[in-house]
Amino acid sequence: MVDISSSESLLSEDTKINGTVGNCFADDAKMSMRNVNVFYGDKQAINNISLDLARNQVTALIGPSGCGKSTFLRCMNRMNDTISICRVEGEFKLDDEDIYTKKMDPVLLRARVGMVFQKPNPFPKSIYENVAYGPKIHGLASNKAELDEIVITSLQKAGLFNEVKDRLDESGTSLSGGQQQRLCIARSIAVSPEVILMDEPASALDPIATAVIEELIDELKEKYTIAIVTHSMQQAARISQTTAYFHMGQLVEMGSTSQIFTNPTHKLTENYITGRFG
Amino acid sequence: MTNQTGPQMNKKNPITDIVAASLGKRHRKELRFKLLGRLAVALGFLLVLVLIADITFKALPAFHQHWVKLEISYQQDWLSIEGSNRELLDGANYRKALKRSLYQMFPQVKARKDKRKLFKIISSNAEFTIKDYLLASPNYLGQKTAVWVRFDDDVDTYLKDVETPGEANARVDQKSAQWVKALADKELIEKRFNVSFFTNGDSREPELAGVKGALTGTILTMLVTLALSFPLGVAAALYLEEFAPRNRWTDIIEVNINNLAAVPSIIFGLLGLAVIINMFGLPRSAPLVGGIVLTLMTLPTIIIASRASIKAVPPSIREAAMGIGASKMQTTFSHVLPMAMPGIMTGTIIGLAQALGETAPLLMIGMVAFIVDVPTSISDASTVLPVQIFLWADSPERAFLAKTSAAILVLLGFLLVMNTTAALLRKKFEK
Repeated sequence: MVDISSSESLLSEDTKINGTVGNCFADDAKMSMRNVNVFYGDKQAINNISLDLARNQVTALIGPSGCGKSTFLRCMNRMNDTISICRVEGEFKLDDEDIYTKKMDPVLLRARVGMVFQKPNPFPKSIYENVAYGPKIHGLASNKAELDEIVITSLQKAGLFNEVKDRLDESGTSLSGGQQQRLCIARSIAVSPEVILMDEPASALDPIATAVIEELIDELKEKYTIAIVTHSMQQAARISQTTAYFHMGQLVEMGSTSQIFTNPTHKLTENYITGRFG
Repeated sequence: MTNQTGPQMNKKNPITDIVAASLGKRHRKELRFKLLGRLAVALGFLLVLVLIADITFKALPAFHQHWVKLEISYQQDWLSIEGSNRELLDGANYRKALKRSLYQMFPQVKARKDKRKLFKIISSNAEFTIKDYLLASPNYLGQKTAVWVRFDDDVDTYLKDVETPGEANARVDQKSAQWVKALADKELIEKRFNVSFFTNGDSREPELAGVKGALTGTILTMLVTLALSFPLGVAAALYLEEFAPRNRWTDIIEVNINNLAAVPSIIFGLLGLAVIINMFGLPRSAPLVGGIVLTLMTLPTIIIASRASIKAVPPSIREAAMGIGASKMQTTFSHVLPMAMPGIMTGTIIGLAQALGETAPLLMIGMVAFIVDVPTSISDASTVLPVQIFLWADSPERAFLAKTSAAILVLLGFLLVMNTTAALLRKKFEK
């Protein structure tokens, strides 16, 4: 999608990034990140980003491929710990608690900050087992009846229960793509997280399944704080309250979604959302 | 190739001709390759078929043997005893009773030399057969009764070779042939299924030799190998693949595991002899030591196959488990391992099949010894099927020829059972 005129405009003065424009801090922040730098080996993937996730809101992270938005998302529940060459600097706070200290166990953190991935990835087990696995390993249910209760309410919250209530024993992989993704959402809300991170959750789905997921995300924000990475600007506009535009590892602009999509301040943001670049 | 750039509706696209011209050649190439492929498959299949058919055909004689009905007189003076208590019966001279009874059936045989020859047509085990018979029913003491005993292996082979006895052959001379013919005429000879082949241990006498000792030894050895190599191999693979950091040390370990897989198996035998037997003082010829040595040999195969299979588990499954707060250990054991299990099982069965057919390292630790008793524990002296095949193939008696083939069939059967079990288990895990 890079046309020659926008490549030229990249070089012009008004597309330079001089720190973040807009308002990247929230009054009531669930998570706040400050001066974050992330390196893969020698390569810097995130360059000095600070932003807040507002409580019970959907924050959309948008930007062209390779801009670092997924990397940033994965740092928020320390999923990047598993990549040995990945180095994270900066301050990450969940309710004023630093999540990158020795005291914070990544296992506990991930129970509080859940994640839904781009490709639906149910376990090759029954639908019931998929949802029950989290509560089981964390010991959230003391008996079978309680576990049943958690599984059913999680499936209900994910809007999947009516479709699968007669076949909870069937394999999770036998569901359609959209149903699988809702199963994955049910699986992550079964452990009652505080924050849900979503990495392009609808990119592998058809428009109808996408619409269902979007509606679901809108409902989920009543109880959870949500950060979502998306390539679809319409999706970001529809479901988020705050939008952050990433470019080449930097946070270019952040602000309320309506402002970003109607009146972007930075030239790069404008180019991206008008489809001239990206 | 062409200057035409725009579409020309009416003219034929010249590219079509160029592509069409090469099509015939391409199709012929494909056809040739398919034919070659079929030929290769057919050839392989044919060779296996010929091999199995040949072994089966050669093994058939080993599955039955000839018995002869003798009139045995359990006379006390022939048995050299006075009285009838159990102890006396146990120590009686059955050989003499057998000889006398046999001579009585052939009164025309007078010369000492001939008598000795006559006695030789009966299996050397026959005296124990008639002993067991009397011990089972002691009231035959002092009576005359018919007892079935085995022929000697030369006569047995002779009877299997010729249609009607009477003519001499390389191992049975004219006189013996005539005696056998006389027995056959009186319908005292019977062909029976060779049960003792499956119930006896090894023996110097081919008519008595069986595979039970070697088969039991093989089962015990394989159990030890499986019990050691499977958990060790899977644990090593899981650790290296999921937990170990990637650094120079793990690289060195990886290279060495790959090298170990290529080490000639006899080296492992030497190691077993030097370290396990001489240093740690474990018993020689025992399935325990054999199993340990074969474990060393099987481990690299299992580790390499398991690692490949663990690597093939999609990372998204690990992320899914970790994303809801599963620890590394929980992720590995409840998701990665079950998904890798079918591949691990395949690797294990390949490793065990290799170990099953292994002879060289077991020779080094003394499993080549001549062992008659059937082993009852993993520390008893025993041998294994491939070594038994090797031993029998090396024996001069012609009857061992059929035994060798029959033992190969038993080995193949064992392999089949093992693989089928693994395939069934695999199917269960894939569900």
